[in-house]
Amino acid sequence: MLEQQLVNGFTLGLIYALIAVGYTMVYGVIELINFAHGEIYMLGAFLTLSFISMGLPLPLAVVLAMLAAAAIGVLLDIVAYRPLREAPRLAALITAIGMSIFLQNLAMIIWGSRPLPFPRQALPAFFSEPALTFSDVTISWMQMLIYAVAVVLMVGLNLVITKTRVGTAMRALAQNQTAAALMGINVNRVITFTFALGSAMGAMAGIMVSMYYNTMYPTMGYLAGVKAFAAAVLGGIGSVPGAMLGGVVLGIAETLGAGYLSSPYRDGVAYAVMILVIIFRPSGLLGRAVTEKA
Amino acid sequence: MRGAANSLKYLLLAAALAYPLMPFRDVYVLHVLVLIMVYMVLAMGLNILPGFCGLLDLGFVGFYGIGAYTAGLLTVHYNMSFWLIVPLAVINGALFGVLLGAPTLRLVGDYFAIVTFGFSELVVLFLTNEIWLTRGPLGIPGIAPIALDVTWLATLLGIDERWRYVFRGEMPYYYLAMVMVALVYVVMRRVEDSRLGRAWLAIREDPMAAASCGVNLFAYKVIAFAVSTGIGAMAGAFLARWSQFLSPDMFKFWESFLVLCMVVLGGLGNINGALIGSVILIALGEVLRVVLPKLGLPAETRFLAYGLIMVLIMRFRPNGIFTQVAESTMQSRLIKDLRARLDARRTA
Repeated sequence: MLEQQLVNGFTLGLIYALIAVGYTMVYGVIELINFAHGEIYMLGAFLTLSFISMGLPLPLAVVLAMLAAAAIGVLLDIVAYRPLREAPRLAALITAIGMSIFLQNLAMIIWGSRPLPFPRQALPAFFSEPALTFSDVTISWMQMLIYAVAVVLMVGLNLVITKTRVGTAMRALAQNQTAAALMGINVNRVITFTFALGSAMGAMAGIMVSMYYNTMYPTMGYLAGVKAFAAAVLGGIGSVPGAMLGGVVLGIAETLGAGYLSSPYRDGVAYAVMILVIIFRPSGLLGRAVTEKA
Repeated sequence: MRGAANSLKYLLLAAALAYPLMPFRDVYVLHVLVLIMVYMVLAMGLNILPGFCGLLDLGFVGFYGIGAYTAGLLTVHYNMSFWLIVPLAVINGALFGVLLGAPTLRLVGDYFAIVTFGFSELVVLFLTNEIWLTRGPLGIPGIAPIALDVTWLATLLGIDERWRYVFRGEMPYYYLAMVMVALVYVVMRRVEDSRLGRAWLAIREDPMAAASCGVNLFAYKVIAFAVSTGIGAMAGAFLARWSQFLSPDMFKFWESFLVLCMVVLGGLGNINGALIGSVILIALGEVLRVVLPKLGLPAETRFLAYGLIMVLIMRFRPNGIFTQVAESTMQSRLIKDLRARLDARRTA
């Protein structure tokens, strides 16, 4: 029982981690909580659905959906956030909330407000079957796929951030935007890249969740977004490894909390963790100390 | 010009006062007007945080809910008088505000936004799941209406009668809501021009400079949060006795968003703007509620318009669409000059 809970919690945690890196990277470079990130995650699922119903094969649909989500993320930044870079932070934060609500309702208009199933016929039949069974613990192929995709994406992301020029530029921006600009870094291009990368990963998380639970609905990004943000805070906002760790810890905590403490308060675990971390350890598990900024 | 604006204001006020007595009054319109006034109080209460202090509160509705359930439960279980419940609900709301605010207000503003959001979601979860107390999703029906009992006055005058007036229908609530709006409005106007309001303004414009001038940032922020949550709770107490029914669904995040949108539309920190924002958005909501289903869309999609309004306002009119109205709320010449100079600096 406990082992199975851990497996399920770990799966959920990886999903949160994939969303959380998007929050944390954007916060790292422009210090903005991109509330609309949860909606990008939701759009990833719905775009895949639409591409599949156009007759495209699943892998192509997934790749296209990720690209489209990345484009939407970039557009979001250019249209909504970039004009407010010099404005008070409150303005950008309110805009982010507004965009989140806007995208959510746009999806409701396009795809309807009722939950839709993931097109199962697009998936290989063996996906829902168990891949591994140890005594009473089963890991399905779907879960294996989530592990594989999450690990590949995160390792890839870490390589991009630590080894490439654009990754170095991202880290430079996170440290000091003015100094980075003085060193000849094209600040807006790096921010665009950050949004694209984060949005693509968020979309992938949405796609996998909709396969895993076989459902998608326009408001799915709301709760997932908040929980992923909680994961990012738990790991230390601005820290990419922190977001990954935070996601996994939160996923396991939530599953165990629902299993052993109280299942109606399942969603409360994330809020409680978030509030407690912010109050007692605002730097999170792996983050730098955060203090009041003028 | 100014005279014309003033006459228009008084004309509107007179019309609002007279409307429920007119033979052509309509129960639905009255209901919507009371709703607008509840949101006016909420918008004025929320305005203190993002408007006066520059702190984004995304969980305002949590305190509205605390106030409403405090009032609802005290009425159902103890049959307490509304006039006693209001201060209790306000104190309870403000207490939660201080408990939540004290540890979080030291942090960066963004974190404050997230903590308030998480808190209000926890409030909804609590209201939904603690069935022993709140009856959960079933809600609390049959909350007694407000009653005004002045039998003591009759006894004092030596008259052996029961002088008790029970609020039935929309009309008495309409006038009570007007009194509530007027009260909060006057307090807000006075506070804005007071030492407290100036400290909040200073914190919003430049916390470091404010602290250097001896403004105790933490204390003033906690006061702001307590006042704001107290006003939210008061609106909740009114709601409980007016709608006579409460359920956790009434206090979801959407409500916080709606109130925030009103404040943004009217202009952050603009008291008159908050009032106008409430009128526009509630009226718009009622219209869209009818129009959207006719277009085959769920009524919730009206939030698309609210989201768009917020984004556009922040982009093109960050001071709200009624900047002229904002000017007129301020009395103190000192603050007026200061604001003008700050705005000039910002646009330069």
